[in-house]
Amino acid sequence: MARYGLVIDLRKCIGCSSCVAACKLENMVQKGNWWNYVIEYEEGEYPNVKRIFVPMNCMHCENPPCMKACPEKAIYKNDYGVVLIDYSKCKGRRYCIAACPYGVIHYISKEKTFYDNHETPYEKLPIKAKHPLHRKKAGIVEKCTLCWHRIEGALKENKKPGSDYDSTPACVPVCPAGARYFGDLDDPDSTVSKLIREYKAKRLKEEFGTKPQVYYIF
Amino acid sequence: MNCITRREFLKRSIFLMSLSFLSNKLFSFEKEMEKELSTEIPYSPEEDVLIPSTCAMCVNFCGIRVRRVDGVIRAIYGNPESPYNKGHLCPKGQAGIFHTYNPYRIKAPLKRTNPKKGINEDPLWKEITWEEAFEEIVSKLKEVKEKDPRGLSFHWSHGKYLLGDQYTKAFCKAFGTPNGIHRTTVCEAARHVADEITWGYHGILPDLDYTKYFINMGANFAEAEQWARWLDRTLMRRIYDEKDLKMVVVEPRLSNSAAKANEWVPIRPGKDVLFLLAMAKELIKNNFIDREFLINYTNAPFLVGGDQKVLKDEKGNPLVWDEIKNKALPYDEAEKISLDKEVIIDGKKYKTSFNLFKDYVLSLREKEIEEETGIPYETIKKIALEFGKNARIGEFIEIEGQKLRYRPVAIYTFRGMIANENGAQAWRLGLILNMLVGSINAVGGLLIHKADPEHKNRKPSKCEYPPSRVDLQESVFFPYATHNVAQQCAYTYQNPEKYGLPYKPQMAIFYATNRILSTSEIEKQFEGYKNLYSVNINIVLDETSQFADIVLPDKTYLEDFHFSPTRWTPDSEHKAIRQEIVNAYNIPYGIFEILWELAKRLGILDKYIEELNKEWKLKEKKFEVGKDYTSKEATAIIWEDTTGKPFEYALKHGLLAKTLDVKKRYLEDLSKFEGKGKPKINFYAEQLVFTKEKVFEIMDKNENVKKVFMEWFEEDENNIKKILEIKFSPLPLKEHSFPTPHKKRDSKEYPFYLITYKRMYRNQTDAHALNPVLNEVAKDSSSNFVLINSKIAKKMGIKDGDEVYVESKIGKVKGKAKLTEGIRPDTVAISYHYGRFAKSFPEYAKKGVLPNFIIEYHPDIISGEDSFNDTKVKIYKA
Repeated sequence: MARYGLVIDLRKCIGCSSCVAACKLENMVQKGNWWNYVIEYEEGEYPNVKRIFVPMNCMHCENPPCMKACPEKAIYKNDYGVVLIDYSKCKGRRYCIAACPYGVIHYISKEKTFYDNHETPYEKLPIKAKHPLHRKKAGIVEKCTLCWHRIEGALKENKKPGSDYDSTPACVPVCPAGARYFGDLDDPDSTVSKLIREYKAKRLKEEFGTKPQVYYIF
Repeated sequence: MNCITRREFLKRSIFLMSLSFLSNKLFSFEKEMEKELSTEIPYSPEEDVLIPSTCAMCVNFCGIRVRRVDGVIRAIYGNPESPYNKGHLCPKGQAGIFHTYNPYRIKAPLKRTNPKKGINEDPLWKEITWEEAFEEIVSKLKEVKEKDPRGLSFHWSHGKYLLGDQYTKAFCKAFGTPNGIHRTTVCEAARHVADEITWGYHGILPDLDYTKYFINMGANFAEAEQWARWLDRTLMRRIYDEKDLKMVVVEPRLSNSAAKANEWVPIRPGKDVLFLLAMAKELIKNNFIDREFLINYTNAPFLVGGDQKVLKDEKGNPLVWDEIKNKALPYDEAEKISLDKEVIIDGKKYKTSFNLFKDYVLSLREKEIEEETGIPYETIKKIALEFGKNARIGEFIEIEGQKLRYRPVAIYTFRGMIANENGAQAWRLGLILNMLVGSINAVGGLLIHKADPEHKNRKPSKCEYPPSRVDLQESVFFPYATHNVAQQCAYTYQNPEKYGLPYKPQMAIFYATNRILSTSEIEKQFEGYKNLYSVNINIVLDETSQFADIVLPDKTYLEDFHFSPTRWTPDSEHKAIRQEIVNAYNIPYGIFEILWELAKRLGILDKYIEELNKEWKLKEKKFEVGKDYTSKEATAIIWEDTTGKPFEYALKHGLLAKTLDVKKRYLEDLSKFEGKGKPKINFYAEQLVFTKEKVFEIMDKNENVKKVFMEWFEEDENNIKKILEIKFSPLPLKEHSFPTPHKKRDSKEYPFYLITYKRMYRNQTDAHALNPVLNEVAKDSSSNFVLINSKIAKKMGIKDGDEVYVESKIGKVKGKAKLTEGIRPDTVAISYHYGRFAKSFPEYAKKGVLPNFIIEYHPDIISGEDSFNDTKVKIYKA
């Protein structure tokens, strides 16, 4: 069984937020909420100064504290290492938000449209025209699914996830700088495994023992 | 799954329904039903298709695939088949959904009922029918046509890239007006003009697949630029994956692009010319000179006299010094040509143009360069030597069996170095440096494209007077402006006599352009447009439309068929179309049909069709007189004629790509200048000397012309010729680093340099301010800031988030301070597409500050470029 994850090359990230837009629109994340976000900061003093961009999404931890924290057992890890939320079980208690060291789970306090008091055709799509993972409502939490609907689609078609644009998480092929990689962390020959080895890619806040499946090249 | 069963659901529903009359909040009961059942209903849309098309949210024209689900745009993905963006897509391209599904769009023709026009005047729009709109517009157009068709100006900006300016130009020709006006002078026109003056066309790209040392003079591909979607992925791959390219970014602000560089050189604004002159000095001193290139391909060996003119024989052939025969001979007859020579012929001193340049740069004082640029001379020297060494002068490389010149270094810019008063001269110098090391069209060097040695800008300008166009293009005022002068029209409208315009402007059509907003000194723009009858065709009611008499809605790029422009890369080019995916507001006419209808009703349709065939250069398939077309049929004609492929191919793939071989990539263009019997690349731009003489002649006869120059450059009568001598210098000079405000503003009163920059969330199309997705994807996407160096701000008592005034000689604007270490202490930077004020825009779209109100207008006389980076300001807490 494959174990899917991401490698993000921070050296190459140009801070454009293309991955942010791709995630938001692909997953119908409502206004004000995020499944993916780019943190930006400066280091050093003029003229020896650096600007660093860090895209952040669910780390799909091997040992996810959010899952343990959920009293409803609404958060689970599937056979491919992807951490998902069962929207029908979630009661919006938000223990997961408190437990996540990465700040990447969001609560839907109320449904919001992109334009105030106006629903666009995109937002009005009927339920059957939305993948179950994109059917959300107020009072539950949401987060990155690693575009599980795409991975699942590929698996159904006997395609290797990540083998083409449409079977890869939306944030990856869209990246103008080619700074994002998706693949099987268990396959030593996958691009992600090779990159992790070559660049000694790091995981964020490893001290929490969460073992994220999102790796960063610094 | 722990969800309720259908039976339970029905029970609950009945209960809820019984309660429903109690509450008018029943609202989306059905929606609730759906939600409860959401996990049971499988994903089962009636339609889920990917339609290939081309993005028009900016000018990269990326290949896209639009996902339409049940008739609705569900997502926009990159098209991996595009050789240009290879599937990558910026946030703007993806947010195109909300560009189309935008409730603030114009949905029907509108007529102004408030006759007063002004920034604070509400036009009080009244909806009218298409028939009424056409009738009124046509009657006005007929009136203008009868009086003098030149009285019509047709302004387009992004319109060029939507419908294609072949259509709008053809309309102008059929109507009889020379006034079709595009926007490049508020962007990169000066670079294009310098290219044309030097090698006869415009458009350059560094050969990044092979480049090893890349000096980027402020081209901000990571935040916004043309060619960005090729530049960003290629540069990141070369720098970080292959670790085979060093990028030095020279600019006052640490942009996202500079943040990715191996070295950031924070130069003082406007001093790029001094920086490059110093580099030239070091390259020459250290003998990093490609003599063979300069002699074989450029006019660097031509002999120049004290009058700045090239020495010629009686037939007009330029002369060079033959080292064997020891005399001046025509280039084609000389055996061994001197590059670096000073000689006396008939008692007069002549120098090769290379020698002139060499003596000049060697005379520059290191201390002055260091003080003015704000960069230690040692740093410039180090960069020059690295550039010189990496140029590998004399080396060759074999690719595809061809032995090719190998010079893997390039100096590149976009708007950064040239959006100023001396922009064309600045990029001329950039080209000269590339020439010095022979990197032009060498492997890894700077690639020129579609070179035309016969280009009119390689000759003395016609220097029209009186000017034929309202933007004064190619007139005595802007002799080499071949990319229109967008910002000038407003001044001419206000006072045509001042510029000697021989007719009165009457009416303007604006198509997909927010001309008023995107220039310097915009309050003067209002004055200019106030008294013109104008028709505005756009998708939203922007600031320019506020001055219109009639407004027509357009379809968006996702609602109409277009033959799209595309971008080439060193190894590819492609043809592409746009497709109608949806029609969100059931708008019956797109711009294609609007122009067709106008031409028909004006009785100029046959002429329009004739001009269309010419503008599109159609050969086999053509528009036929007597027939009407839809935009889809029109796109099919152009596609089939241009590509030779059936239109079905375009509908299926969206584009047709071609790989370019090494001959096309390196040899074809350069061969036009190679060796004997060929014209030469202009290391030395002698044509500027002849043009200057013409300008002086016209100026001496026409006091008004002189007065305009005196106003632009704030010089008195005695000095103006001296200033123009510098402006028209055949070789760039250190004075080109000193635009008017740098010289004329007291540095104690105005201690800061103001620079402007682009942000991809806003630039290019003015409806972006309304786009809710773009407004939230990045920290500064809904509002911009006044960037100030943290230490300086601290000294001034300004904290992060404080409101500050930024004040220039012509006014002040208020914005929020953002403190950063990533900017020079003497510079403030403001991106220039926020702070919108259109009456029809909601508050969320108006956030931020618009520096254009306080940017002084001192145009580049050579190219017409607007002066976006020259203004000096003071800042203080509000």
